[in-house]
Amino acid sequence: MKVYRIVCMVILFLCSGFLLQAQELKVSGTVTDALSGEGIAGVNVVVKGSSTGTITSVNGNYSISVNSGSILQFSFVGYVTEEFTVSSSTLNVTMTEDVTSLQEVVVSGLASTVKRTNLANSVASISGAELTGIATQQTMDGALYGKFKGANISANSGAPGGGISIKLRGLTSINGSNEPLYIIDGVYIDNSAISAGLNVVSQAAGGGSQSNQDNPSNRIADLDPEDIQSIEILKGASAAAIYGSRASGGVIIITTKKGQQGKAQISLSQTLGWTQILNPLGQRSWDETKVAASFGASEVPNFVAARNAGKLVDYEDELYGNKGLLSTSRITVTGGGDKTTYFVAATRKNDDAIVKNTGYEKSSFRLNLENALSDRVKLNLNTNYIESSTDRGLFSNDNSGATMGVSFVSTPSWAQLLPDANGNYPNNPYSASNFLQTRDLITNNESVKRIITGLNLDAILLKKDNMSLRLNARGGIDNYTLVTNAIFPNTLQFQKDGNGTNGVSIQGTTTNRNTNVAAFLIHDFFPGSSGLSFRTQFGITGENFDRDNIVGTATFLNGSQTNLDQSGSVTIEQDRLIQKDRGFFAQEEVNLNDQIIATIGLRGDKSSNNGDPNKLYYYPKASLAVNLTEFSFWSISTINQLKMRVAYGEAGNFAVFGDKFISLEPVNINGSSGLTVSNLLGNQEIGPERQKELEAGIDVTALNNKISLDFTYYVKTVEDLLLRAQIPASTGQTTKVQNAAEMVNKGIEIGLNANVISTSTLNWKSRLSYWKNNTEVTRLDVPSFTTGGFADFLGQYRIKEGHSPTEIIGVGPNPDEDGLVVFGDAQPDFNLSFLNSVTWKNFELSMLWHWKKGGDNINLTALLSDLAGTSPDYDKIDLDPDGQLGNGDYRLSVLGANTEPYIEDASYIRMREIGLYYNLPKSVIGDFLNSVKVGFSGRNLINIFDYRSYDPEVSNFGGKGLSSSVEVTQYPSSKNYNFHLLVKF
Amino acid sequence: MKLLKYTFIISLVTLLSCQIDEIQDPNNPSVIAIENNASRNELQLLVSGVESEMRDEMGFYYDVLGIIGREYYFFTNSDPRYTGEVLGKGEATLDDAGFYGTRPYAGRYKVVKDANILMTAAQNAADPLSDSELKGFTGFAKTTQAYSLLLVLNMQYQNGIRIEVSDPENLGPFKDYSTALGDISSLLDAGYADLNTAGSEALFFLSEGFVFNGLDELESLKQFNRAIKARVELYRGNKTAALSALSDSFFDLAGSLNMGPSHFYDAAGTDLPNPVYRTPNGSEALAAQPSYVTDIRAGDDRINKVAMRTSPATLDGLTSNYDVVIYSSISSNIPIIRNEELILIYAEANIGTNNTEAASALSIITSAHGLGNYTGALTDSELVDELLYNRRYSLFGEAHRWIDMRRYDRLDQLPIDRPGDDVWTQLPRPVSEIGVQGG
Repeated sequence: MKVYRIVCMVILFLCSGFLLQAQELKVSGTVTDALSGEGIAGVNVVVKGSSTGTITSVNGNYSISVNSGSILQFSFVGYVTEEFTVSSSTLNVTMTEDVTSLQEVVVSGLASTVKRTNLANSVASISGAELTGIATQQTMDGALYGKFKGANISANSGAPGGGISIKLRGLTSINGSNEPLYIIDGVYIDNSAISAGLNVVSQAAGGGSQSNQDNPSNRIADLDPEDIQSIEILKGASAAAIYGSRASGGVIIITTKKGQQGKAQISLSQTLGWTQILNPLGQRSWDETKVAASFGASEVPNFVAARNAGKLVDYEDELYGNKGLLSTSRITVTGGGDKTTYFVAATRKNDDAIVKNTGYEKSSFRLNLENALSDRVKLNLNTNYIESSTDRGLFSNDNSGATMGVSFVSTPSWAQLLPDANGNYPNNPYSASNFLQTRDLITNNESVKRIITGLNLDAILLKKDNMSLRLNARGGIDNYTLVTNAIFPNTLQFQKDGNGTNGVSIQGTTTNRNTNVAAFLIHDFFPGSSGLSFRTQFGITGENFDRDNIVGTATFLNGSQTNLDQSGSVTIEQDRLIQKDRGFFAQEEVNLNDQIIATIGLRGDKSSNNGDPNKLYYYPKASLAVNLTEFSFWSISTINQLKMRVAYGEAGNFAVFGDKFISLEPVNINGSSGLTVSNLLGNQEIGPERQKELEAGIDVTALNNKISLDFTYYVKTVEDLLLRAQIPASTGQTTKVQNAAEMVNKGIEIGLNANVISTSTLNWKSRLSYWKNNTEVTRLDVPSFTTGGFADFLGQYRIKEGHSPTEIIGVGPNPDEDGLVVFGDAQPDFNLSFLNSVTWKNFELSMLWHWKKGGDNINLTALLSDLAGTSPDYDKIDLDPDGQLGNGDYRLSVLGANTEPYIEDASYIRMREIGLYYNLPKSVIGDFLNSVKVGFSGRNLINIFDYRSYDPEVSNFGGKGLSSSVEVTQYPSSKNYNFHLLVKF
Repeated sequence: MKLLKYTFIISLVTLLSCQIDEIQDPNNPSVIAIENNASRNELQLLVSGVESEMRDEMGFYYDVLGIIGREYYFFTNSDPRYTGEVLGKGEATLDDAGFYGTRPYAGRYKVVKDANILMTAAQNAADPLSDSELKGFTGFAKTTQAYSLLLVLNMQYQNGIRIEVSDPENLGPFKDYSTALGDISSLLDAGYADLNTAGSEALFFLSEGFVFNGLDELESLKQFNRAIKARVELYRGNKTAALSALSDSFFDLAGSLNMGPSHFYDAAGTDLPNPVYRTPNGSEALAAQPSYVTDIRAGDDRINKVAMRTSPATLDGLTSNYDVVIYSSISSNIPIIRNEELILIYAEANIGTNNTEAASALSIITSAHGLGNYTGALTDSELVDELLYNRRYSLFGEAHRWIDMRRYDRLDQLPIDRPGDDVWTQLPRPVSEIGVQGG
């Protein structure tokens, strides 16, 4: 069977056309920008209906030999494509900027590119300018907010250094990963969030939830967003063909900047700014009655004494009130000759944060080389070296009172926590820890050394007038070492005097190595004048993943020593992950005069994570796009493009590593080791999840390409969903992995782009994006269950047939058949983003607004504050239906009987980004400098929400699976102000 | 050019046809492999695993039984359930998914599972065991299973429990309280019989917590088995059977009250710390229910099981001036069953048939705690009151008070701290069992 398939493919790409001879003409000219009149470099000049072509030089000049009467097509990213019939030897062309970006070329999950006009999928793409051009971005993932339709992006906390989860077009998995795959210049990038082993201190996984709550950063944060040329997002199976089973959560394809031919161009930039808490809540104001009610009568004298001495402390300001300095310096050099171009960039970032002793530092160095080995062979080498260091403090849930977040909400304003003149911190009588001491004395650092290298070879194996055969081979390595260093000295309140373990030092090392190789053959065939063209591609892919995580934990430290050896007790944990995936991909594309474009393809995948590692799973895809405006009957000239499109595709999602093992885990008693059965019952028959996505849409461009509208509707079904389903605990194990459910996402995405004003001095572009998604569990082979939180009465998610998998349940009046009440849903009703960019003379002003409507959170920060009596809204009366009790007393009065007060609407409207820049006129800067730009930018400067905490964007459990939107004293979010200087030589 | 093409095709065929090797779990051994081909050393690993798991999640067991039995409170800012649901505050009820019930439940059945794996592995050992060698392992396995099931039944009470759980796809039915107690008693007998035919020496060793009083592994296990048998028969109301089991146990009217096997805890390495120990005077407090101090008789040295705090502990409308100090550190062992309990079982089993003997057994306890001999009436009811007083103070924090008051139908005599609080009779059947395989 396998052999037959291969033979078919081979025949397909070997079938060669025949040669046509005609009279040749040498045409040359210059391509210029219609507004500025300057030459445009790199424009593709192609004889329509053939593979013959060239590109323009630095000054916009080109020359090409064609048959007279041929049509020459001029295309370039960001410009409207132009076509001319060749009649003379000189052909000068002016191109106008394309606000609708329909003409750009997208990769679309293939080995080849597709013109956006011919695309049957809605592929979102943005340029580096949109990504980082408005405001400074600390991390790559943070730069994506509000810029892509169909992407729900949420920060897990405000801790510096990232920690963001991205879900494209709803949910694709319940227990597996929902995160998209990141590909940078062809390299598969690891985006793990690796725990530092803090649970030994926080004991967060000791009570209601056994999940990790360390809140580590995710590794995509390492990338420097300034290096990015463009980002494309493939949102589902119908688009993400060549990435197969790694792509069920969508793919984010990142292309970094390339060198430009010509003499070296140097640019320097410096950004300086500050960060501050986004939404300070204030603290409860106290009097004797309230103190007595919440802390007992014995506390009243302490309160009165502190008040009379003027020693009531605003601990929110003390802990979260830091104005952190932000600084980013960057230098880039680009240039090159005929054969070789280079792009070199170096960035140094040093950001403080809103909590003292936390912050983020990064150095990134990039070298991108492109070399034309011959006319037909091109080699690209992209290398990126990154060092980053993040101090994240200790926040989020605990069961020990050790985290700063939990300790802070437990402490009233009359507590005296500040150190004395000798630097000795008093014990906090209201909590297990003095959070100011914790802040000043602990270390919780993640540091990364990472090298990412990608090699891409393009070779034209065969080229004739009516056909070509191209080989694309690519390989990549993503290699990093993550060192986590967490030190809790034995002078801390929660470590000394028999509390805790007299100091803890946790030293972790993770080495991670992803390698990927792929090779594709692309055969283009233009059989004569019929207007038909065929593109056949076939390729194979292979990826290996190898991770080794070792964490050593030392307790009972010798004095102030932090070396693991200098301790009374050391434990070591090691966790290894090995995965090998192999696959192939074949696709045939038929194009009739750009009027009708049809594709059909097949993907095959196997993986060592499946029960049978050598079973190939097959995933078909097909698509059709019809450009009505390309047909001769089209006569409405105001409409420049009208395209109907439909695409269908399937993809898998491999089982998680380890799901097929039935294992014994190590234990230790009295110096003897032992083995005990794992809580997870592995499944040796486990197979991948299967996602089926159908999307249909319509794209319209009108009024001389000044306005465009796109509309997409999709249905994404995930079958054989992998569940870590609860099994009866009397079996001795608690969960089993099964392919046991099905889920459907339905949604729409609408985009409206307009070039509102376009004159030589004033240009105003506007983009409005709207997206919404609904998810429903349509099949569940196991009884409905709750997951993702701590307990039903504290709010959890419920997986139940016919319901949304993100619905939030709790206890309350009129329970349903499960004894539960639905109080909300974590998934938003819709998202809307609105981007405006105005340039007027030398000024540029851009603003990005983002409205997330709906979506609920489980706010357990409020619960912990209520229990301690410190909630800022404790005495406000707006929850009690009888209007009697203050909010704190009301919430506590129904605790255990009604979860509703702790489930809150997490809608927000934000001004995500604003940037104002001024280009100094040439007369001021002189000849030595090419350009000088100064500016101001801000992130999250305006935030409108009713949510009763620091930020509705929060997740105690990080980005894993379903457990987002639960808040337990996370690091609060911040807003940033920055000043910019950019100089080009 | 052709050559390149063919090279490509060949390499492509090679890559597609190449097999992915099955990757073994790089982190852990496989259950199936060890069940079918265990070495002697691996059998020891399984034995240590069973003993270690007997301690796992026991902190929840002791705390929940202690809190519901109104022995102590657990104050923590991190979780409201200890002072909410567990005490039945206001409208709050116990949650069938609440960790305080599901985790100790799952932990006990994990011991049962581990012991089943041990029995299968011993049966199929790579180097086959002799019958008496095998009986040592099965005797240990059945005894620990019976003890674990008893703790599950203590929590589930009239809900009943599953006894037969060796096939996860085909679990046995839920058996009602008295049937389950009978099954546990039979399982203890089966384990005892195995231990008695296990020869002179076991092929395995246990922790220094489990072996006691200078006994070896087999003898410790036998006497432990009979001690638990006595407790089970007492619960069943079979006083004669209880007395008979006591005679084969380490019961000793003249012996140390603390004699008996215990769960080993240690702060070192990956060993487990004592989960009930909390540092005194912390804001996170294991605080005695105030009646412990107000109800105690003058001169009773069992007052030393609590210690006065430097400042009162207060949370959620509850206040206590005393910390529970039954363990001195996180490395203190937790007794599984002590001679003091056996003497109290002896006393209880004699009430109604030999009240003089019951009174003299009680006097051993009261004298040991500084109260002198029992001087009260020798009526059944007065002896029961005296017995319950002594069980309350002698076994404080060892998860007996609630069960005792339930056995004597006196749960309504437990103190209520806040209006609307409830004293629960049993924990709900865990949600994972409901609607599945007869649950």
